[in-house]
Amino acid sequence: MKVTFQIEGGNPVTIECNAGDNLLELARRSNVAIDAPCSGNGSCGKCRVRLLEGELESLPSRHITDEEYAAGWRLACCSKVRSDCAVFVPDIASAYQSRMKTADLSSPQELAIFEDCQDHLRESGIHFVNRFRAVTVSMTPPSLDDTMPDSERLSRALEEALGVERVEIPFCVMVKLAHVLRQHDFVVCVKGELRSGVFHCMEIRGPEDRTMAGCAIDIGTTTVTMVLTDLTSGKLLAKGSCGNGQIRYGADVINRIIEQGRPGGRKKLQDAIIKETLTPILVNLCRHAGIHAGDILRLSVGANTTMNHLFVGVDAASVRMEPYIPSFFHWDGLLAGDLKLPANPLARILIAPNIGSYVGGDITAGTLASGIWDKDEMSLFIDLGTNGEIVFGNRDFLMSCACSAGPAFEGGDISCGMRATDGAVEACVIDKQTMEPTLTVIGDPDQRVVGICGSGIIDMISELFRCGIINAKGLFVREGKRILRDEHGMGRYVVAWAQESETGREVSLNEVDIDNFIRAKGAIFSAIDTLLHAVDMTVDMIDKVYVAGGIGSGINMENAVNIGMFPDVEPAKFHYIGNSSLTGAYAMVVSDDAAAKTAEVAANMTYLELSTYPGYMDSFVAACFLPHTDARLFPHSRQE
Amino acid sequence: MAFTPKTAPFRGKINAVTLGTGDKAIVIGGQNVMPFYTFDAPIEHAPKIGVEISDLAKEWDAPALNEFYAGCATMADYAKKAETMPGADFLCLHFESADPNGANRSVADCVADAKAVAEAVTMPIVIMGCKNIEKDGELFSKISEALQGRNILVMSARSEDYKTVGASVALAYGQKVGAETADDINLAKQLNIMLKGLSINPENIVMNIGTAAVGYGYEYVASTLDRVRLAALEQADADLQMPIIAPVSTDTWSVKESSATEEDEPAWGCREERAIEMEVSTAAANLTGGADAVIMRHPAAVAAIKKFIEELI
Repeated sequence: MKVTFQIEGGNPVTIECNAGDNLLELARRSNVAIDAPCSGNGSCGKCRVRLLEGELESLPSRHITDEEYAAGWRLACCSKVRSDCAVFVPDIASAYQSRMKTADLSSPQELAIFEDCQDHLRESGIHFVNRFRAVTVSMTPPSLDDTMPDSERLSRALEEALGVERVEIPFCVMVKLAHVLRQHDFVVCVKGELRSGVFHCMEIRGPEDRTMAGCAIDIGTTTVTMVLTDLTSGKLLAKGSCGNGQIRYGADVINRIIEQGRPGGRKKLQDAIIKETLTPILVNLCRHAGIHAGDILRLSVGANTTMNHLFVGVDAASVRMEPYIPSFFHWDGLLAGDLKLPANPLARILIAPNIGSYVGGDITAGTLASGIWDKDEMSLFIDLGTNGEIVFGNRDFLMSCACSAGPAFEGGDISCGMRATDGAVEACVIDKQTMEPTLTVIGDPDQRVVGICGSGIIDMISELFRCGIINAKGLFVREGKRILRDEHGMGRYVVAWAQESETGREVSLNEVDIDNFIRAKGAIFSAIDTLLHAVDMTVDMIDKVYVAGGIGSGINMENAVNIGMFPDVEPAKFHYIGNSSLTGAYAMVVSDDAAAKTAEVAANMTYLELSTYPGYMDSFVAACFLPHTDARLFPHSRQE
Repeated sequence: MAFTPKTAPFRGKINAVTLGTGDKAIVIGGQNVMPFYTFDAPIEHAPKIGVEISDLAKEWDAPALNEFYAGCATMADYAKKAETMPGADFLCLHFESADPNGANRSVADCVADAKAVAEAVTMPIVIMGCKNIEKDGELFSKISEALQGRNILVMSARSEDYKTVGASVALAYGQKVGAETADDINLAKQLNIMLKGLSINPENIVMNIGTAAVGYGYEYVASTLDRVRLAALEQADADLQMPIIAPVSTDTWSVKESSATEEDEPAWGCREERAIEMEVSTAAANLTGGADAVIMRHPAAVAAIKKFIEELI
């Protein structure tokens, strides 16, 4: 039996299969990207495909209307193959991986933020230097009178050039030593690291080839971002990003942990990140920068605890189970060769240390980048993603916690939600009188609306609330042309009519969506609130708020305060610091000081496990209201 | 020098809400002190006791209770009798049989009952529904309409139906509305805010913040009562200053302590006495925690609680 996936804007893919095979599983097996944030349990309705010919046995779903069913639309995860068939896979499904918009330093603003962060680190006494050296040595070629072997000849030359006592030549250099020396007439450039008076060679090249590269990687649950940098100058050589290939195994860490626990799962998940995601970008970046992979002498990774485990291929099951103890927090000694990454096999991979099961290295790296560890003023650092992580403190103490915001910020759990790719509404203003929206859509100027991404939902809910269209519980209380109700009386606000949208389906935000989002924002705010309470402090003691995360780039801070997501502090106190995990990872790879400081910050940070903190649930329920049950916390929230 | 006790009334005050009309009208709330703290400030309106009358009262199975209502056939008969119960301040009509999953009695029949009761008695009337959101919505609206001018309290406006219930009961027919939530101070406050958002005067709102029989997770009720009251008094939170009504009997009569027969649990003693004790202890716990009114069933329990209130006020 055969299934053919007709991918919109791509080549068809055909796979052999058996009757009864699950369509989503088949798509995964044949590397057809179908977005399935709920990991295939039928709850998110995102894996829509259209049956062109053949027979599928599909369970009915509330995500598919009768007309759509008649037109062949099915949920891939709820469909079993019954005969040879062809299915159409819409482009919106694959958009996530190729056109993911994230804070990957591709815009001048992001680059400015990135450089700003580094300047602040320099001011805090972090020197952007390291112990990697590229030494060009010129040796007398051997002769019948000078019979010293190649290795000794090189060692002596290096000892003299660097003033070190000893030189270590590893296997990967030894095997090509004779060849490279003779090819370049015994004038070569040796790259390696100085450690405690010993020079550890890592690569040997011709005398002109002096580039030493470092690679900083931010592995997010949703997106992966990477930069190649020159280890000598700290200059960026190349940068790139794409969706995390593990996405097809579930949108959040919990689903991925479940998936990796299945037979062969750990390997599948590790392959998805290393072989399918990191390797292609890395190869691409090397080509773009004109360097050999072997010249990448150090890597650093900022990733959450689960991503760290899945990256190195260590069982992550314990992250999910009480008492939530991961396999490692801090780990030295991992080499690129261990994971078969395209880099120098001896290159160390610096993993920014984890602090708890749900506060990982991305937060340690981000905390480093934010600079809050060197300030007198009280700062709040918020990393907004599938999980929201919060750090609060100053140079004297740092507290951290994590809350599960769920996929709402990335468009999951929201009927018209999507990640921030082409066609996503990223900002919105609503006219109070007419209730008509003015939308900002990602993409070309004539891009039609596909759905709404996180920042768009924040704006939309804030505006609906401000205009008195929804009440504090997120229920519709005004009637109008754009406010429709289904047969159960559930209200929705039409953002784009069917004829205006890219997909031909109405794009609207309904009461369930709003409720889901209110829970997500409630989780963030109550985590902040609980953390402040734990140290007996109040919102007015916050001097600065640093907001990080690719998802945060478009956030309108005032709207986020208006709906009670962030504490009500002056707008001037908010700073968006972009992808702080990547910035921190970059600092670690270039600067030995930064790497040491990250470890120190991690060791000094106190982790508060919210699930065992008595007041958290209470605070959460109080925060699941617009803006908050205690309106005194949000004096600037407006409902006109 | 003589000892002058220091009094500590709060700056916040519970709203005084009047139920019913005429001589028998009652006021619940109005105090600015913790329950029974008459030494801090006088408590003008003592807590009130309501007597529950169910449209399934004929199925009640307790000798002394049945004896009290002997000869009663209609809901109005029961109500008239209940009005004579020593300690009773108001009546609570419980339309259990309207439940579509139960007897599914029609709204019209229930309304007719309510009207008959209203004509037969002068005490304030409280209406309790069948817990089915849709049926209750219709029932509450129709009863509020039929009993216009009697200033009744309709118990259940929940987050699911507060809009329809609030709009019909309080706005259209000028009755009092009960905001019902489940043992959570924040949910209680949120519902009050939303009812106020419908432009219902806070003086027309009474809260039912959730109840349980003692021993059945009553700790949650106790801490919620405590927190709600302290927020209302100490922090003067206007969104929580509504008086609290606690429907006690519906919970206490359905738990095992009240329902297990003497054959099944010989060591537990007389079933009716057990039921009375459950009712008394739960009502007493609610009143000391902050409830301004309790709804009870058994005359002996009502008498005990009446005595309890009188001794303390």
